[in-house]
Amino acid sequence: MSTIAIISAFADDTDCAHAIHALRDAQIRDLNTFAPIPSHRIEHALGRSRSPTRWFSLTGGISGVLTGLAVTIGTTYEWRLNAGGKPLVSWPPFIIICFELMVLLGGIFGFTAFFLFSGLPATVAASGYDRRFGEDRFGLVVRCDEADAARIESILKESNAEAVVREEDTPR
Amino acid sequence: MSTTLSAVRRDSSSTPRPVESVAGTTMQLVAGAMIALGAIAFVIALLRDDAATAWEAYLVNLLFFLGVAQGAVVASASFYLTQAKWGGSTPYRLGEAFAPFLWVGFFLFFGLYFGRAAIFPWVKHPIAQKAAWLNIPFLFARDGIGLGVMALASRAFIRISRRNDARAWTVATDDIELPPHSIRVIAPLLGVLYAVVYTLIAFDLVMSLAPVWRSTLFGWFFFAGAFWSALATMALTAVLLRKRLGANNLFTNPVVMHDFGKLVFAFSVFWVYLLFAQYIVIWYGDLPVETFFIVQRVHHMPWSPLSVACVVLIWAIPFCVLMSVRAKQTPSVLGSVAALGLVGMWLERYVLVVPSLSLDAIPFGPTQFLITIGFLGAFLISAVPGLNRVAQAATSGEPAGDLVE
Repeated sequence: MSTIAIISAFADDTDCAHAIHALRDAQIRDLNTFAPIPSHRIEHALGRSRSPTRWFSLTGGISGVLTGLAVTIGTTYEWRLNAGGKPLVSWPPFIIICFELMVLLGGIFGFTAFFLFSGLPATVAASGYDRRFGEDRFGLVVRCDEADAARIESILKESNAEAVVREEDTPR
Repeated sequence: MSTTLSAVRRDSSSTPRPVESVAGTTMQLVAGAMIALGAIAFVIALLRDDAATAWEAYLVNLLFFLGVAQGAVVASASFYLTQAKWGGSTPYRLGEAFAPFLWVGFFLFFGLYFGRAAIFPWVKHPIAQKAAWLNIPFLFARDGIGLGVMALASRAFIRISRRNDARAWTVATDDIELPPHSIRVIAPLLGVLYAVVYTLIAFDLVMSLAPVWRSTLFGWFFFAGAFWSALATMALTAVLLRKRLGANNLFTNPVVMHDFGKLVFAFSVFWVYLLFAQYIVIWYGDLPVETFFIVQRVHHMPWSPLSVACVVLIWAIPFCVLMSVRAKQTPSVLGSVAALGLVGMWLERYVLVVPSLSLDAIPFGPTQFLITIGFLGAFLISAVPGLNRVAQAATSGEPAGDLVE
């Protein structure tokens, strides 16, 4: 049962990523990070599996292409207008409609999934958040048992953590 | 994949063994022999009254190899414009490696003068309305000046790019300074000149072979294709050098190979976009004066399979294969896709040029093959000093960009 939250701040994402690696090597998994900028270093260090968002984008994209085909071919057969002796169902202009609808639906699906999976909109800041983590510091919050706290704090300090604060854990 | 932080740290702690030279006498001898073969085939074809075949191959190869050499210098300039530090100074040296061929191409361009009757249909059958533009003295003057200016501008750019301040900027990974001032002046200038001069080359040396045809987008399509062929050549060179430069050289870094893969992928899509953008307008307009150029190449045997092959090699294969990160980072995959793409781009230049001159038969045979070999030899021999600079940069152990994905 996690009872303690250890909040640490880093000036540099390399140090933060280093700390995450060291903690994971020490079998400590309950980690949460705050970053003022997106950092691939931290993302890689956390070793999270890929977001399922991309499957939603793919589904949206394929739905877009199918919608495009249905709309273009359907309306052409509904209103049979021969233009310049070209075949009734002519692919070149349909490609454009299918492409645009692929982008549109793929985008909308992906964007919706992104909101869904990232827990947005978040009205209350996650526990352990500090204003500095939105300015110029990278934050790392570790939840652990009282017994592990000292060991974790020493790992954090070895990785150049600027400030290490111990707090009672509040539920996420 | 060694893309985690600890793995990268481990990798960067062991520095590569510096390599001074990868290309030397052997390559020069082989390339020299290739040039000799090409020259002999060319002369024999002229003596055997087969001038058209020889000049077609000459023009196609001139366009292809000149496009690669110039596109690569423009790629180096565009790395400065996008402030690319992902590979330290090495991608810049790689882009500049083929530049000596610009002078070879400049002189070979004037060789076309002797083949003018075989190449330009409007020499034998002048078009009165277009005579002010399509005449031999004006064509050679404007294109010659254009290519000369490009070669000079490229030389000036490369001199500045090789200076210490520019090199120091490419390896300074911890600051957000702009590149040196002189680079900021000449790099955009080179990009604009490239667009203008290579549009002119496309209009004069490709479009004028079908003198009644026109497409305003054609120049853009032509130089974007040349730019892509340069990127594919750079990726292929990186893959080929990877093994030869020993442990821990820059090209063994999967992040750097990923970046080359991204460039090959992106500009392949751009090429097909421009192809379709032209095709759709011509298809909609349905004007015989515009459609015949497409019909000859897409619906007319024996050319239609070759046209399809171009789209497969330049777009379909790179698009499907290089979509995943792992494929981009796997040298054998990236190298194969780039090599096939280069074959595709050569074929594209062939399909743009030759059907205008020989509609019902593909004149490709030993003569055209050997002339192609000759041009490849000239291209390789020009690249020898540049490739050695690439080797030195890639094994210098200099810091390079953000090496973490």
